[in-house]
Amino acid sequence: MDLRAGDSWGMLACLCTVLWHLPAVPALNRTGDPGPGPSIQKTYDLTRYLEHQLRSLAGTYLNYLGPPFNEPDFNPPRLGADTLPRATVNLEVWRSLNDKLRLTQNYEAYSHLLCYLRGLNRQAATAELRRSLAHFCTSLQGLLGSIAGVMATLGYPLPQPLPGTEPTWTPGPAHSDFLQKMDDFWLLKELQTWLWRSAKDFNRLKKKMQPPAAAVTLHLEAHGF
Amino acid sequence: MAAPVPWACCALLAAAAAVVYAQRHSPQETPHVQYERLGSDVTLPCGTANWDAAVTWRVNGTDLAPNLLNGSQLMLRGLELGHSGLYACFHRDSWHLRHQVLLHVGLPPREPVLSCRSNTYPKGFYCSWHLPTPTYIPNTFNVTVLHGSKIMVCEKDPALKNRCHIRYMHLFSTIKYKVSISVSNALGHNATAITFDEFTIVKPDPPENVVARPVPSNPRRLEVTWQTPSTWPDPESFPLKFFLRYRPLILDQWQHVELSDGTAHTITDAYAGKEYIIQVAAKDNEIGTWSDWSVAAHATPWTEEPRHLTTEAQPAETTTSTTSSLAPPPTTKICDPGELGSGGGPSAPFLISVPVTLALAAAAATASSLLIW
Repeated sequence: MDLRAGDSWGMLACLCTVLWHLPAVPALNRTGDPGPGPSIQKTYDLTRYLEHQLRSLAGTYLNYLGPPFNEPDFNPPRLGADTLPRATVNLEVWRSLNDKLRLTQNYEAYSHLLCYLRGLNRQAATAELRRSLAHFCTSLQGLLGSIAGVMATLGYPLPQPLPGTEPTWTPGPAHSDFLQKMDDFWLLKELQTWLWRSAKDFNRLKKKMQPPAAAVTLHLEAHGF
Repeated sequence: MAAPVPWACCALLAAAAAVVYAQRHSPQETPHVQYERLGSDVTLPCGTANWDAAVTWRVNGTDLAPNLLNGSQLMLRGLELGHSGLYACFHRDSWHLRHQVLLHVGLPPREPVLSCRSNTYPKGFYCSWHLPTPTYIPNTFNVTVLHGSKIMVCEKDPALKNRCHIRYMHLFSTIKYKVSISVSNALGHNATAITFDEFTIVKPDPPENVVARPVPSNPRRLEVTWQTPSTWPDPESFPLKFFLRYRPLILDQWQHVELSDGTAHTITDAYAGKEYIIQVAAKDNEIGTWSDWSVAAHATPWTEEPRHLTTEAQPAETTTSTTSSLAPPPTTKICDPGELGSGGGPSAPFLISVPVTLALAAAAATASSLLIW
């Protein structure tokens, strides 16, 4: 995470460190454990739910920001200044990601995005917006927990922040109003794109974890179905 | 050195004179091509002839009336498409061909219609275009694709002239794509552009090979199977969901079923004996829009072979007629009482195979014998 003094994302990044110290979800060791399949399905369902929630939340928030942010044709250049985790990835690289990396990237992305969203919530002007954002943050927290659960079931460690990257926060010149709104715009856009990507990521994981179809068919025939 | 210079000079003058002579006195090798706008007026001069030269004009070999002439020039007013052709002017007395014009009447291009679609997600997308009204003259199109500030190559389709293909390099991009097209012809120029996100243009091709079959011994069932479109490159990682619609041919109202996976479905509420029309559409599970409807499949549910009717009623079956527990189809419009039931052979207790009136008569006879009245 690139931290620059005066960067609004940098100021919020220090708050992100709180998240890193979340206790890791203990691996549940039940007898007759169905494996990671059901929890992957649950995670997939959560991404769909969140994507649906985000659509109405983003619409409301962009209207609050006003034009040009709420115009459908708005197509600003993406200056590299923001420190948001980017969902975009080379097609072949994405295909060949191993399960651990795939899950880790999702977990890290949503950790950062949640932190930034909480910062957004602090600045939001209307109570209604704050309520919607808070609700969304809670749901997003749930998604993080779900991904952590899948990783724990599969035996992957949760990503920890590297030592020495703890930010030293020095207050700097505040972002202009317009630039702040641009940051908000890209945050929502990136969040939406990540949710689409996660659906595809978890689809891929689901297919890999599924029992072979042939075994299921044989089971049915044995019962004279 | 002094001697060759005047000689070269003379040769040059002779050559120039020859060219001038040829231009004034011999016909042009190739006609002059000219494009003019529909509805406009045009004046065609007879090459380099004087205004008062005596000439005759012909179009595609047919003489033109002298009233169209203004001196040696041909005047055409209110050009129509029929005015297109090969115009030739001849020296009136010698019939010497002076000048030829190949005239094309057309229009400048209007704003083109451009659309892009990804039926091969995540491999890429294609864009296709057309002009809303014809120009009647040749047009050239130029397509550019921008992803942010990066220019992407749009490869021409090998078969279709108005289509080109773009390959995705990156997936899950937050930056929009901008596709611009410019069209120009001899009479004008136009352009348009569209901007879109990667996800919004995803629209698969319709499912293929939709087959509907009756289910033996089941007069209200139809088994439908189909295949994912062959153009969808990766159904494993990018699964499709399906939408099925069906109706009997005689009704206008469709029934709908949405299916989240699998490429088969059994309809269980078909009206017995009626021919059905069935279609399927596909959509990526999460993004984009529904495909067009597939080619329709037709099928009629299984019906029992008609048995030869005997002259006597069959009492064994009529006494159990009132114990039928199957609900009839939802509307009585096309429901014959004789079609109720889904049993197979004659031993099925719920099968009613005689008209209701006979059953009632038999029941009345039974009742009276039991001294109910």
